[in-house]
Amino acid sequence: MAGKSLVTIKDITLIGMMVAIIELCKVAMGFLPNIELTSFWIIMFTLFFGRKMMLVVPVFLLIEGAMYGFGMWWISYLYVWPLLSLVTWWCRRQQSVWFWSILSGAFGLFFGFLCAFTTVAMGSVDGIRNGLYAGFVWWVAGIPWDIAHCAGNFVLMLVMYQPIRRIMKNISY
Amino acid sequence: MTSNTKKSGFKLMIGVVVLAAIIAAFVMVYRTFSAKPAEGSKSITIEVIGKEADSIVYELHTDVEYLRQAMDEADGLTFSGEESEFGLMIDSVNGETADFNADGAYWSFYVNGEYCNYGIDTQPVYDGDQFLIEYTADVKE
Repeated sequence: MAGKSLVTIKDITLIGMMVAIIELCKVAMGFLPNIELTSFWIIMFTLFFGRKMMLVVPVFLLIEGAMYGFGMWWISYLYVWPLLSLVTWWCRRQQSVWFWSILSGAFGLFFGFLCAFTTVAMGSVDGIRNGLYAGFVWWVAGIPWDIAHCAGNFVLMLVMYQPIRRIMKNISY
Repeated sequence: MTSNTKKSGFKLMIGVVVLAAIIAAFVMVYRTFSAKPAEGSKSITIEVIGKEADSIVYELHTDVEYLRQAMDEADGLTFSGEESEFGLMIDSVNGETADFNADGAYWSFYVNGEYCNYGIDTQPVYDGDQFLIEYTADVKE
């Protein structure tokens, strides 16, 4: 007699839909530098679907790698996006649009800083000093883009949080 | 309930302020540590024509904004004058003095063939500019 499956067909469908929405928005907004909806969706999906994100994020990462190649940036994605989902889960009782806008903005602002850890690790092959220097230079060069990322994330969350929350409340189970 | 809302609003306000402060700190880090071009991004020339129509051309690669700074950077170019409300009024270039009171001589400043509309402290420097500093004497026979 088979036991109850941990992941149902409904879950698989839902996960597929979530990843499809993230990817679709990513491609559609690709022409705007560092303005993206991935952060927004990962926050919203974590708030509404909780632990299912443990499957959504890895599927999203695999698709990203398959589409754009498994480069150095992909290694940083392995910890950056799960971190956002984890922090969101930790703060899930918050309901203020301002709170989520600040969190999303802060994530955008620190995105380059977090990704720089990969550069530090790669550069440290020639010594930790070289690694730290390479990571620092890499992070500093991207600060204007991180600020744009911050502004984009903040505004998108501010504008979209309430309407999407209302829609998702009606469809979530 | 109202107290909780006020507390929550206050916390969020602190959050916004902290985020803005971090952005400001990041901007400062960027301004301090971002890569600077090794060579000036503007290429200009400054030509000096003296009393005897002798010409010296200075070629510069610079990032300066105003002519006076460019003249300071030009290797070998010396100049002096009197500070005034319009900036430095040039009397002497490369040791050659133009004395207006004695013979109506002065140093003329041109940019790209046109007479400069500003003093050297406020004359902007753009890429490709060709400046001419020429000893000029009123001819009064």
